Amino acid sequence: MKSLRLLLLIALTLPLTAHGDDFPTSGRVEYVLECMQKHDGKQEYLYKCSCVVDRIAKALAYDDYVAMSVALRYQSLSGERGGLFRDAASNKDMAGKFRQIEADAHKACAVPQR
Amino acid sequence: MSFHTRFTCWGVCLALAAGAASAADSDIAKLTKDPKVWAMQAGDFNNHRYSELKQITSKNARNLTVAWTFSTGVLRGHEGGPLVIGDTMYLHSPFPNKVFAIALEDQSIRWKYEPKQDPAVIPVMCCDTVNRGVAYANGKIFLQQADTTLVALDAKTGNELWKIKVGDPKLGETTTNTPHVFKDKVLTGISGGEFGVRGRITAHDMNTGKILWKAWSTGPDNELLVDPAKTMTWTDGKMAPIGPDSSLKTWQGDQWKLGGGTTWGWYSYDPDTNLVYYGTGNPSTWNPRQRPGDNKWSMTIFARDLDTGMAKWVYQMTPHDEWDYDGVNEMILADIKVKGKPRKALVHFDRNGFAYTMDRVSGELLIAEKYDPVVNWATHIDMKSGRPQVVAKYSTDKNGPDVNTKGVCPSALGTKDQQPASYSRKTGLFYVPTNHVCMDYEPFQIEYTAGQPYVGSTLSMYAAPNSHGGMGNFIAWDAGTGKMVWSKPERFSVWSGALSTAGDVVFYGTLEGYIKAVDLNGKELWKFKTPSGIIGNVTTWEYKGKQYIGVLSGIGGWAGIGLAAGLTKGTEGLGAVGGYKDLAKYTELGGVLTVFALPER
Repeated sequence: MKSLRLLLLIALTLPLTAHGDDFPTSGRVEYVLECMQKHDGKQEYLYKCSCVVDRIAKALAYDDYVAMSVALRYQSLSGERGGLFRDAASNKDMAGKFRQIEADAHKACAVPQR
Repeated sequence: MSFHTRFTCWGVCLALAAGAASAADSDIAKLTKDPKVWAMQAGDFNNHRYSELKQITSKNARNLTVAWTFSTGVLRGHEGGPLVIGDTMYLHSPFPNKVFAIALEDQSIRWKYEPKQDPAVIPVMCCDTVNRGVAYANGKIFLQQADTTLVALDAKTGNELWKIKVGDPKLGETTTNTPHVFKDKVLTGISGGEFGVRGRITAHDMNTGKILWKAWSTGPDNELLVDPAKTMTWTDGKMAPIGPDSSLKTWQGDQWKLGGGTTWGWYSYDPDTNLVYYGTGNPSTWNPRQRPGDNKWSMTIFARDLDTGMAKWVYQMTPHDEWDYDGVNEMILADIKVKGKPRKALVHFDRNGFAYTMDRVSGELLIAEKYDPVVNWATHIDMKSGRPQVVAKYSTDKNGPDVNTKGVCPSALGTKDQQPASYSRKTGLFYVPTNHVCMDYEPFQIEYTAGQPYVGSTLSMYAAPNSHGGMGNFIAWDAGTGKMVWSKPERFSVWSGALSTAGDVVFYGTLEGYIKAVDLNGKELWKFKTPSGIIGNVTTWEYKGKQYIGVLSGIGGWAGIGLAAGLTKGTEGLGAVGGYKDLAKYTELGGVLTVFALPER
């Protein structure tokens, strides 16, 4: 029931556009660069991080990925602005869903969680 | 700056002071009329954020592409935007408030200025260590540092010409606003309403920094710079003198000394009337029970004579604030038809959710309407008294301390914060970035300690219920009728300043990091994902026959930007700044200016 509500909420807040790997190249490169940085720039993570972003791109339309990943990042903003992201249920739900999708992709691509 | 540069300043300073001593004006008025340059943060004295440039149009905007980028190497929120004068761009950063002079030709750095500031100022900045950009006039760049130092730099060399402190961070006084140059004066304000700071603005001699006048927001008449018989306000359906002790009478005891009414917004200036317009912030403390009365002149629009500082008229929008609806948002001056009659109007989109249209010469209240239909704390503004009709159940004062007042719209962020709207001289409409957020608000009792937060409330925010689910809108507004023309929903609040152009394009940025171009009907023409959320203001200029669009990204929690910034260590570019809850995760970051143009054929 709870997950159904969550899905409904996401459906409402995110007008899911028809997609199928609609990530622009820049969006993938950006993800891979940041992911590689988190793993000390090791060559092996070029492949692993590419694997992760390809999986995310299969799961989400690019616009939704952007919104959800932003909702997750801004959980850590300081002050009143961050409050908006920590307080609002819609943002917390997006953050939580993205965290899960990313964690699944990490697992599938043999990227240890950091 | 080093001893050496300070020493060399002597010669330059004296020469400049002597040269400009006779001039009662500056080149800024003329510069703002040239669409190729962007000489003030708002583009002009009127706060229009409008450009006559039209190489980029609603037909070709979809082709916009990245021309170049520039990283400030500094974390945290990047508000404001660059200035462009001739072949040089002047760009600022948040604390430590670096300034870069960048050659437009090849993006090489002509000079860089980095003030030494006590990092102790950081914890007393309520809302991130932002800075809203530099000002320019007569070959000088003016920077308002976080630690309240106002500094003038030689625009050619970056050398300090003069500096003066306008506040004391130990008392919670900080500064985030851009300096404003009107004629031969530099005007600046103060932040710190959350720390019991008593607001004021100061006017400085452009050539020496000397304070020419200082006007407080609260207190006795001689410190307010008001004339009890001549300073007017909207009373009973007409303008009437404010009378003696207009501020003192509206506070209990000495509370006006910690009164708030800070002045960190976007001022405007009308050369015809010689009046400067600006708004004052919330009264301190947030807990309304601790400060009975109207708390004048917090939450007020001031119209002051530029030369003397004397107030010609005032209008308090939110008497006895109970929700933190600061009145500092930009004052936009526009000559428009209001209810069919041509007016020299002042238009102001207040945090409290009402858009005000005033006669800027007389101070008459003409229109006050909600610019987001969810606004509920007041039913309407009574046009006779000019006062909001507060809904009892949303009154945090009536409900009292330690009671959670639920469902107040807008939230303390306001229907709109400082992010400035744009007025198109072509369409006569206003394009406004907004919040679509409501809150639960609970005040509590608090004692004042200098330099400590004096907030006294807890709040929780969420997207406006029973709406589109998003937290923002980008709207077009007709200030002559007080009606919304269109509203474009956004997933997140829109915290970026807008720009409209003669090419029939309106630009703004989003928290996802998109810069967007929409047509005059709000239809999206183009969007581009920059490296971080956008809370800066969109700017345009022309260089060598080409129109450029630029915007700062950077709010925190960046992606990938570490590479753009060339930062390899987590703390580089961070300086003494810390404090993100989760800093370890996203440290290799920096704000980025992204510049766009149409591709070569």
